Amino acid sequence: MNNTLAIAKTGLSAQDTKMATISNNLANVNTAGFKRDRVNFSDLFYQIERQPGAAQDNENELPTGIQVGSGVRVSGTQKEFTQGSFENTGNDLDIAIVGKGFFQIAQPNGDLAYSRNGQFTKNSEGVIVNSEGLPLVPNIQIPEDALSISISTDGIVMAQIPGDPAPAQIGQINTVNFANDAGLEAIGGNLFVETQASGAPIEGIPGDAGLGSLKQGTLEGSNVQVVEEMVSMIATQRAYEMNIKVVSAADEMQNFANQSL
Amino acid sequence: MSDYLYTAMSGALQSMTAQRIHANNLANIDTNGFRRDMENADHFKVDGPGYQSTVHSRNQAPITDFTPGALDQTGRDLDIAIKGSGLFTVIDDNGNEAYTRSGSITVDPEGVLRLGSMALGGANGPIAVGEFQAINIGSNGTISVTLPGGGQANVGQLKLVNPPTTDLVKGQDGLFRTQTRDDAPEDLNVTVLSGHLEGSNVNAIEEMIANMTTSRHFEIQVKAMKAADENAQAGNRLVRGS
Repeated sequence: MNNTLAIAKTGLSAQDTKMATISNNLANVNTAGFKRDRVNFSDLFYQIERQPGAAQDNENELPTGIQVGSGVRVSGTQKEFTQGSFENTGNDLDIAIVGKGFFQIAQPNGDLAYSRNGQFTKNSEGVIVNSEGLPLVPNIQIPEDALSISISTDGIVMAQIPGDPAPAQIGQINTVNFANDAGLEAIGGNLFVETQASGAPIEGIPGDAGLGSLKQGTLEGSNVQVVEEMVSMIATQRAYEMNIKVVSAADEMQNFANQSL
Repeated sequence: MSDYLYTAMSGALQSMTAQRIHANNLANIDTNGFRRDMENADHFKVDGPGYQSTVHSRNQAPITDFTPGALDQTGRDLDIAIKGSGLFTVIDDNGNEAYTRSGSITVDPEGVLRLGSMALGGANGPIAVGEFQAINIGSNGTISVTLPGGGQANVGQLKLVNPPTTDLVKGQDGLFRTQTRDDAPEDLNVTVLSGHLEGSNVNAIEEMIANMTTSRHFEIQVKAMKAADENAQAGNRLVRGS
């Protein structure tokens, strides 16, 4: 049986995956700290029709064999950790990381997750938590009567207490870095978890040893570029259509052979 | 039975292979660094008495087209593309060198640069970059990093090669190797562009046209097969005398 159909099918499913990724990127165009996904394609293995070195005739042999490709596959999706655009919010607990690094967030089961989303609030006990109520690690408790909070670029959190002219240090935000941040696993909720591929987290003080510094009152937006996504959406759609054309051409060929013979 | 039927069949088989090659090209229209294949067939004279006028069509190894694809700007420091001709080196699963045009580099947990699942080949084997704050790949393939504490360090040099394209064969894994399987020599004139990825060099319109042509070609062969069948039937009727 002619496997043109199967080859075109691999093209269709690859373009379909790409479309799903584009729509997820576009859906998250306003998600703070979101990092866009990129789909990587690679060609599937080649099928050998005739071995190189087979006899051409009595005296000569073929220098190269006949190899026909069997289509395309999605070799992986990759998070692109380029910097998103910054938005000034003026909110004391909005923190952006300028450069590399992740905030550490404790998941309900106690495991650490990592995030670029710096939209923090405080819970009923005054502990700094993310927008889903998961605490920032190391835990920082803001005194009830604090007038204002200031966070330095190297992560020192100070609170202004009434009656005390000097602000008091109430904690230190540490960020972490990974050898291969593209290997992190996205678990949703703007969180990433460590994997074998990402390597172990390397904790440090913001602004030090390759980690980006912190910026209070600022949020890092999503790094999705709308125009770029729209353009790849068009390209994907057309590539999908072309593969459909191949499917119908292969179908017509077999149909013709069936009916004529 | 007439050998005419088999001649037409060899033509039909050739169009089917051609169509698979074009379908594979189209399926890989978005694969970075993919080089399209072109079908290649020759005529093949059947030996033996009575076959003097019989010439079949026969598939030959597809030819790979090495025209550069369009460069797409990604802005990622570890996306690299080659301007003009040349290839990147990777170390395959057997520890041998293979060559590719696709340059989306990743860093593994040990700090070694990789292209897909394979280690990127440097002038002196795989390249380990260790911890870094920023990475920069120069136009001649020098890799330098900004160290975590500040300060620059050179960590390696890409092995860029530019063997004659006639000497390159596409392997089962889609990577290129030399005919003799020897390592290609380093070429210092290959230029790298960081922050870009090279697309596939498949031209969609060309592939669609080729797809239409092969379909029609196939139909002509089938018609010829049908004519051969009718001729044989006519002969049978004569012999039967009805």
